[in-house]
Amino acid sequence: MFFLDIGVSLPGYVLCLLKEWHAVASWTWDAQDETCGICRMAFDGCCPDCKLPGDDCPLIWGVCNHAFHLHCILKWVNSQTSQAHCPMCRREWQFKG
Amino acid sequence: MEESNSCFFNLEVLNSLTEDSLHEIIDSYNGFCKASQSLLAGSGDLSVGPDVVSHVHALCKHRLRSLVQDHFLRLLEETFERNGASRFWRHFDPYARVAGLSKNDDLDIDEDEIQSVLYNALEEVTLEKQYQEKCLLMVVHALQSYKDQMSEDKDDFEGERNYLTSKYQWIVSSVLMATLPRHFPVILHWYFKRKLEELSTIMDGEFCDDASKGKDAMDLDEKVKICNKVGEMDVDECYNDHRFSENSRLVKNIGKIVLDLRNLGFTSMAEDAYASAIFLLLKAKVYDVAGDDFRSSVLQSIKGWIQAVPLQFLHALLVYLGDFVSYESTSSGLKSPLAPQPSSCCPGIDTPSEGLVRWKLRLEYFAYETLQDLRIAKLFEIIVDYPESSPAIEDLKLCLEYTGQHSKLVESFISALRYRLLTAGASTNDILHQYVSTIKALRTIDPAGVFLEAVGEPIRDYLRGRRDTIKCIVTMLTDGSSGNSSSSGNPGDSLLEELNRDEEIQENAGVDDDFNTDDRQAWINASRWQPDPVEADPLKGSRNQRKVDILGMIVGIIGSKDQLVHEYRTMLAEKLLNKSDYDIDSEIRTLELLKIHFGESSLQKCEIMLNDLIGSKRTNSNIKATINQPSQTSIEVGDDGTSMDVISATIISSNFWPLIQDEPLKLPEPIDQLLSDYAKRFNEIKTPRKLQWKKSLGTIKLELQFQDREMQFTVAPVHASIIMKFQDQPSWTSKNLAAAIGIPADALSRRINFWISKGIIAESHGEDSSDHVYTIVENMVETSKNGGNTGGTQELLGGDEEEERSVASVENQLRKEMTVYEKFILGMLTNFGSMALDRIHNTLKARMVFKLVPPEKEVLHLYKSFYLVYEISLEIRLKSYVKNLW
Repeated sequence: MFFLDIGVSLPGYVLCLLKEWHAVASWTWDAQDETCGICRMAFDGCCPDCKLPGDDCPLIWGVCNHAFHLHCILKWVNSQTSQAHCPMCRREWQFKG
Repeated sequence: MEESNSCFFNLEVLNSLTEDSLHEIIDSYNGFCKASQSLLAGSGDLSVGPDVVSHVHALCKHRLRSLVQDHFLRLLEETFERNGASRFWRHFDPYARVAGLSKNDDLDIDEDEIQSVLYNALEEVTLEKQYQEKCLLMVVHALQSYKDQMSEDKDDFEGERNYLTSKYQWIVSSVLMATLPRHFPVILHWYFKRKLEELSTIMDGEFCDDASKGKDAMDLDEKVKICNKVGEMDVDECYNDHRFSENSRLVKNIGKIVLDLRNLGFTSMAEDAYASAIFLLLKAKVYDVAGDDFRSSVLQSIKGWIQAVPLQFLHALLVYLGDFVSYESTSSGLKSPLAPQPSSCCPGIDTPSEGLVRWKLRLEYFAYETLQDLRIAKLFEIIVDYPESSPAIEDLKLCLEYTGQHSKLVESFISALRYRLLTAGASTNDILHQYVSTIKALRTIDPAGVFLEAVGEPIRDYLRGRRDTIKCIVTMLTDGSSGNSSSSGNPGDSLLEELNRDEEIQENAGVDDDFNTDDRQAWINASRWQPDPVEADPLKGSRNQRKVDILGMIVGIIGSKDQLVHEYRTMLAEKLLNKSDYDIDSEIRTLELLKIHFGESSLQKCEIMLNDLIGSKRTNSNIKATINQPSQTSIEVGDDGTSMDVISATIISSNFWPLIQDEPLKLPEPIDQLLSDYAKRFNEIKTPRKLQWKKSLGTIKLELQFQDREMQFTVAPVHASIIMKFQDQPSWTSKNLAAAIGIPADALSRRINFWISKGIIAESHGEDSSDHVYTIVENMVETSKNGGNTGGTQELLGGDEEEERSVASVENQLRKEMTVYEKFILGMLTNFGSMALDRIHNTLKARMVFKLVPPEKEVLHLYKSFYLVYEISLEIRLKSYVKNLW
């Protein structure tokens, strides 16, 4: 507070008191790829079944490090009769912990 | 003379004439001539009567009966011409100069004088005529008595007399007509006008008196009540008045003059004269009552006046003239179907005569027409203050229903629009407001919307040519309160209201989302089609279907709803990005209404945008809560007292927002630190998502403290960064400052203008001519610009002044998106050589289902730009297309 007083008392100086700083940011999924390999929609968008991006339509990573929309990969996994494979690398699909 | 006359007879008869009879004929003819001459010349002296009779008998004996008739009639004619007509006209000679004046001019003639002149002249000529008629009758009797002697058949007397008197009547009127001076009709007209004015003031007095009796009890519907009163006025009430005597005296005077004029054969002229006087009076009354006041309905009071004044007068007049043939007016088909209520036709008159009914219809039609013309001429003004002027609109509607001159309205209104509204000087906002008011007003007049179509066409065409039309429309749609359009801030014509109203009506809109909307609209239109009701029955159901949809018409200006949604999204983004509190209630409401009208799917992105804000609010409080607790000491960047508390953020899903212009910017160190902490925390909470700051966007509220004053500002990050640099160092060169903030020097000089204009920073030239030096202004005295703002709070969004937008304008966005289409179109042109515009557009639509296809106009625009660039290579191919264009 002492510092502030000095600042004010010096002629020719100005002191800015920030009341509020409202910033703007955009969020993005921290994935290597831009689009989902299944639905070809942007990760930052949502899968074709969803209306809202973000929390409502999350991404999921497999152990092979490929990411998909959760809804997309679930559909894929459920459609497979036996063990499901990653649509990208054909490795066995397992959700990354 | 007699020879020549005799030659009309059978020549054989001549042979049988003896000398004696010839003498007898000559004698009696001469005697007859002399006697009748003296009879007509003598003023009232009928002593020569028997003479005439004997001569007539003598002539008749020789079968010279027609000779007697012809001669006597000619004599009458000559005498009347000499004595009656010329003397009659001589009375009016002093007024000959009025002939040149038009009927409306006020003649500066003594009223009483002209009245007495007219009166005397008519009296005199009537006397003369009566005397001559008496003479004629005498001759007729003479002829008849001879006939009676010869044969016993009596039956022809009436016929004979009628024949001769009507012949005489003809002679009189033809003589008068032939010598009619030009000023006589003017005098008549003037006379009747004066008399009627006199009469109407008397009756008006009654009218007003009557009204004022009930005035205490009256408030709002004053005029209606007056009319009711007039309507109820019955014989006793009306005629008990002492004024009645004066009244009837006047009417009698007028009636006498009319009667005299009729006797002279001036029937139609007299009628013309008093009819035109009545119409003039009525016109003056309508102008007087209607005037420039559009806030009250005048039709009823005018109708009341017609019944109270001119119809009473006409009734009295017709009764006096004896034209009162009491037909059962209701029984016959004579009554026009237009007459609204036969029973209340003429108050105080039990059985209105046919003539009176005709008069009433004429007068009312005239009143309707006059009022209609008056209102149509002022329709523009009426519509300008529409919600207040709705009584005038109602009046006009009634008038038009009666007269059916809608086309007049359309023509005059369109020309008024062209002249007054569709000019470069009018702001788009005003035009749109006027358009909306026009739609609302004309919807009242013509629910079918046929005339509205015609009137709206030029406005729509004009608006399509303006660039900011869409923007204004969207503003009108979204701004419930006056907002930007404060100049014409009438809450009544916000389109938001329309949205609200439509909420109930539109239940099934937006049901079939995956249908191509244009096709759907076309299909709906097609299935709803009705022939335009030129004379359609207004009560048929078709009008319900053709409901005039204001929003539809507004969207029709733009062409497609996609464009409107696009513009709305841009504006919404702009608005949301400038919000620092997360208060979006009104936006949510607007969006819900828009969704109802335009369908949910097209507004999906907007919904996500709003959702982002809601999410941001939650995330923001979440981050704040977790960031402050665990590591409070380390986060507190104590440098200048800024802490995490001041930070808040809007986190957007950038894919769904319009293109956002982000410029590089170096934020002040502590802020940057805080922001990256914030982002880190976000990453922790929402793994694996991360934040990317749009550093140039946001809203900052700060307070500047000087030695002697404090000021508050709301600014953009650039401005905040600039001013915060001056905390360390009171003066900067522009190059250094630009480097420190990380923006180009020219951008800096633009931005810093904000602070200069506020009087915070002063600019001066440094040693280097290209370099400027910015210094903090030490005290207020140096800055005269800033006036009385010392220490005051300045709520000003820094960006506004410099016409800066965080969201790329629609045009810029379109241009960016267009690059895709450019290639497409070029490819198509190379392949096909030439294509019509709509075909290109359709192909684009087919190929690019997922994206917004540019409207035809834009394609056209692209086309034109290609034409310039690839002029040589494409010229030949484009030719066929170009031909279609120009």
